[in-house]
Amino acid sequence: MNGVIKRYRVMAFAAGIMSLLLWFVELPVVYLLDNPDLEAKVKWIPFVHGYVYAFYVLAAIHFTARARFTIKRMILFILAGTLPVASFIAERRVMREFPLT
Amino acid sequence: MSVVSKMKTTSDIALKKVGLALVVLGLCGAFIRLGFWQLDRAADLKELQKPYIEQPLIPLTDVATPSTNLSDSAINRIVTFSGRYVAQFDAPGQRDRSGVVGTWLVGLLEVNGGGAILVVRSDQKSELPKGEVDVEGRLLVRQFEDRADKSGDQLSRLDPSLLVGTYDLPVFDGYVVARSEIVDSKVLTLPRVKVDPARPSVPGYYWQHISYVVIWWLMALVVLFLPLYGRRRKSEAKNEEEPI
Repeated sequence: MNGVIKRYRVMAFAAGIMSLLLWFVELPVVYLLDNPDLEAKVKWIPFVHGYVYAFYVLAAIHFTARARFTIKRMILFILAGTLPVASFIAERRVMREFPLT
Repeated sequence: MSVVSKMKTTSDIALKKVGLALVVLGLCGAFIRLGFWQLDRAADLKELQKPYIEQPLIPLTDVATPSTNLSDSAINRIVTFSGRYVAQFDAPGQRDRSGVVGTWLVGLLEVNGGGAILVVRSDQKSELPKGEVDVEGRLLVRQFEDRADKSGDQLSRLDPSLLVGTYDLPVFDGYVVARSEIVDSKVLTLPRVKVDPARPSVPGYYWQHISYVVIWWLMALVVLFLPLYGRRRKSEAKNEEEPI
């Protein structure tokens, strides 16, 4: 179980960081600023976020299935990766409920 | 439990199962469809990266008619037409191929055979030529966003609908960026505006759309997996409750 939790934690951090970058860096640069140079510099963010989220979903399903969570909780864990801080909150809760041995 | 209530419970469960199956299939179908939509956008982006293939010269009236929307096949064609200019305007805030923003000189030309069309003549001031003019240029789709205020001799954007009501002429949709004008067999030497062919814009990047394809189809798989997971959890819980 420790390996599953560690994998989930890593992906929760990665998904959280990528969501923060997407919401507060990439989207404002593209939609609020008219600066093509800056836009070119942040263009990697959306697609890295896309792939990181896909792996986050797999890690979340693996962890919640192993932890025998309800379907509702599993769905909430999957959705947590879409909001900037939700995956950090989910990760903290996991650490409280399943301290690593 | 009576036979009637037992039958009712069984039919309720069956109805619930059918409802759940429909929801799962609906969601799964929607996610698969969204995946295909992103795949199409990725394909469109790839298509846009290819260089534009120029089509042969064609008379304007073969690809467009006044008072009707431009067809997709007419956009970007190099067209030829003749007629007389009836008015001239300034169009400020226009950006050329190299990104230079300036005021373009735009004429309204009454086309022989009927109708009028906006022609971007130059980015420099010039007199309106008198007499019949032969024009050759690229036909582009009208602009939708204002670049300046509209006044008597100034156009806020390159859109023939701005002139409807002012001139008693049916207008062609779109506008032409002239690359040559011939008056009395003499080519007018004016600095011409250089523009790229109009391409549909697809927001985002190729690998970004592919990543969304992965996510949507992954979600479709998750939706299929969830009922199986729920059933497994139920049976596990039942096993744990049963005394050994």
